[in-house]
Amino acid sequence: MKVTFDEVTMTYGDRDVLDKISFDIPEGKLVSILGPSGCGKSTTLMLISGLAFPTEGDIYFGNEKVTKADAVKRKVGMVFQNYALYPHLTVLENIMFPLKMEKRPKKERMQRAKELAELVQIGDHIDKKPKQLSGGQQQRVAIARALAKEPSILLMDEPLSNLDARLRIEMREEIRRIQQETGVTTVFVTHDQEEALSISDEVMVLNGGSIQQYSDPITLYKRPVNKFVAEFLGTPVINTIDLRADSLLRDRLKLSQNGHSSATALGVRAEDIRQVHTADQALFTGTVSHVARIGKDTTVHVIDGDKECVATDLDIVPEEGETIHLSAHPDTVHYFDGEGQVIRVGAAV
Amino acid sequence: MTEKATLKSTFKALIYMAPMLTIIMTFNIYPIFRSFMMSFYTDYNFFQNTVNSYGLDNFITIFNDAQFWLAIRNTFIFVLGVVPTSIVLSLGIALMLNKIKFLSSFFRSIFFLPFVTSTVAISIVWSWIYHGRFGLMNYFLGQFGIDPVAFITDPDYAMLALVIMSVWRGLGFNIILFLVGLNNIDENYYSAAKIDGAREMGRFFNITVPLLGPTTFLVSVMGVINSFKVFDEVYALFQSRPGPARSALTVVYYIFQKFYEENQFGIAAAAGIVLFLIILVFTLIQMAFNKRFVHY
Amino acid sequence: MEELRETDQPIKLKPLTVKKSAGLSSVKSEWLLKGLAYGLLTIGAVSMLIPFIWMVSTSLKTPAEAVAMPPVWWPSVLRFENYARAFEVAPFGRYFLNSVFITTVSTLGELFTTILAAFAFSKMKFYGKNILFTVLIATMMVPSELLIIPNYLTLSRFGLINTYSAMIVPYLASVFSVFMLKQNFESVPNELYYAAKVDGSSDFNFLWTIMVPLSKSAIVAVTILKIIGSWNAFMWPLIVTNDRMLRPLPVGLQAFTTEAGTHFELLMAASTIVVAPMIVIYLFLQRYIIMGVSKAGIKG
Repeated sequence: MKVTFDEVTMTYGDRDVLDKISFDIPEGKLVSILGPSGCGKSTTLMLISGLAFPTEGDIYFGNEKVTKADAVKRKVGMVFQNYALYPHLTVLENIMFPLKMEKRPKKERMQRAKELAELVQIGDHIDKKPKQLSGGQQQRVAIARALAKEPSILLMDEPLSNLDARLRIEMREEIRRIQQETGVTTVFVTHDQEEALSISDEVMVLNGGSIQQYSDPITLYKRPVNKFVAEFLGTPVINTIDLRADSLLRDRLKLSQNGHSSATALGVRAEDIRQVHTADQALFTGTVSHVARIGKDTTVHVIDGDKECVATDLDIVPEEGETIHLSAHPDTVHYFDGEGQVIRVGAAV
Repeated sequence: MTEKATLKSTFKALIYMAPMLTIIMTFNIYPIFRSFMMSFYTDYNFFQNTVNSYGLDNFITIFNDAQFWLAIRNTFIFVLGVVPTSIVLSLGIALMLNKIKFLSSFFRSIFFLPFVTSTVAISIVWSWIYHGRFGLMNYFLGQFGIDPVAFITDPDYAMLALVIMSVWRGLGFNIILFLVGLNNIDENYYSAAKIDGAREMGRFFNITVPLLGPTTFLVSVMGVINSFKVFDEVYALFQSRPGPARSALTVVYYIFQKFYEENQFGIAAAAGIVLFLIILVFTLIQMAFNKRFVHY
Repeated sequence: MEELRETDQPIKLKPLTVKKSAGLSSVKSEWLLKGLAYGLLTIGAVSMLIPFIWMVSTSLKTPAEAVAMPPVWWPSVLRFENYARAFEVAPFGRYFLNSVFITTVSTLGELFTTILAAFAFSKMKFYGKNILFTVLIATMMVPSELLIIPNYLTLSRFGLINTYSAMIVPYLASVFSVFMLKQNFESVPNELYYAAKVDGSSDFNFLWTIMVPLSKSAIVAVTILKIIGSWNAFMWPLIVTNDRMLRPLPVGLQAFTTEAGTHFELLMAASTIVVAPMIVIYLFLQRYIIMGVSKAGIKG
């Protein structure tokens, strides 16, 4: 079901955790809410679930206003960070619990729970207690339980953060698979950008209680709307070059001719950095301080005084100590104004 | 996590608490104030529930009553007899239980047994053991060449009889508390002390004793508070009398007599207030101590 | 529940094992100390048990054996008819049923009221929560002996003196139990509460299907302590009953001391009847009793 937030504000004490946010979550999609801790992403999830209520503004499920409806009425499914499985119930009983609450006939409960156990591939363990399962298995049970009552929306609160790295990737793909098989509208909260980018149809980046950008993962990465999004996404962090003090560079980039006169900084991703021959073609000139080789990846760190530039996809790997000149294709350069907003993407040198 | 108290949630919580609050308000909170009021009733008609005058007369009466002072004196003697003895014995037993592995919980169960049994029944058993002619106690004393003692009927021995039985009865409870205290001492302290060269005795005096201080204090204060309230034991041990020649008249027994046998409600309430104040002093000492020394 | 808390637990270091540096003498003294401990504990345990053994043994003797000097440790013939005789001399059957009835009703009632209240205190948000809780805790400092007089008057206003209600109603709730259960309910993670809400469970349903089963051991501990307290209660039932047929066991037993006269074997049989049920409960459930007592003691 489609979820709509209309100018929703959430206040604790005198602090605005969410400040007049409005958005739609389209039906049948998997949407991630991404942001650093304290950005309001968990609060947003709680507001969707009906475990918390907004201070101002309205929430709609489809066309129905649910602002004041509590969790029991909203019929959402939720997967918690620590799974919150009922420790005294078996796997099957855990999955059946929401159906029991709906007073469905016992036979139906049983059958539905078994189907779900198969869907999440936990069918062999249905008589075990949660304690006897591994983290990944518990996660699967939690998902099955959340799906049991055919929820209008499936909510996941950092569901992968308690798993180890390898399992996390496996479960990520599982969640994607299950979501696509069931077609349930899913909201996935995470602080891990890689997780968000890999799993979602749409990503909403939150910071300081307001939406920074809400778009598909590729746009988000390639066309960030501001410096926060540009810096929050991608590893290594996007290179930023301060333009305020460097009038030579400003002239060469013809900022005023290109409508970039208000630019105070530019950003280029490490993989877009190319080596050029001379300093007057370059955005950055410096000494190679460190070359890190991890498996197939080679990361080159170049410094100029206290400024640093990182490149990952250079054609020829330079030696440490060498002085090199770096630039990038104009399409890959992002210009930021004084407020950190991107002015316009794609300008010629 | 995210909810705040609202009128609605407060109302709901009140519904959940209502049964408990009704009982507690009626039988625990209201009577506290009522007792204070009653201690100032100097002319009260029970059948019409009317109070004709208030005053300090009840307090003046009990403070001029030799019986009351006797009750206070006996209660203090009882406390001084029971608490230190019980502490020393239960601490020693707890340390030994802590030292051994095999049969440790078996012994613990036996020591704790009297705690679950009826005070009245146990006191009756003891009064049989203390019997002047046929009692087991006198038989044992006889084995050591001691003449029979009339524990129950001789005013000089009645208090001793009461103290011995009370120590016996309360031992298990104190042992449990000491065992909890001993358990809370981190093994690493002992390991460290061993490395630092402390022998068994050194470890006992330098680690166990100081770290068990708070527990000992707690056990003492609780012992004092509970001992101040002694009644069932006296009533059952001495066949519904406060001991021979009132030698075991305690404060609660005094209150019971004034209230139940003499219908002197105001005087009984005043004595109750005095008991409350004595216990309050110890409670406050304990709370102050907890705040300062015990960090959970 | 453990797996949820696992991460909060500090890593517990295994105590270092240190080689005994001192030679044989240390090992020897260690054995000596242990031997001494076992010896003293055995003496102590026997002293603890003697009154019980003596009670049971006397209860099975003939009147002559009971007062024999030197004492007869164990009767030659076990006279179980002493028990039957005790039931004849005084209505112990009735006393027993009274005790069972009073204990059952007040325990069930207290569980109901305190579980509900403890839930409100542990998981619900409401105005004045801290103040109310402090007031309740403060009432625990007041000796119950102070409450006897006004409670007697209150009950007599309601015309309840000399009824079962007089022995039950004032004990249908306990601050101590609320406190114990609240502590335990708080340790149930909030996520479970939220998960149940999302799963469509009402608060009331969550309390009985999730919270209560998860707090089983604390509830059992509170229940047993209540049963013991209720079964052994003496002063209050003594005060509020005149009718012999309403008496619970301890009051009946106390009255029996005059009725039995010098028949110590009957008196001891009656005492055994009073004591035995609690000893049976203790033997089976002592783990919970000791847990309850140690928690209660430490929190003061």
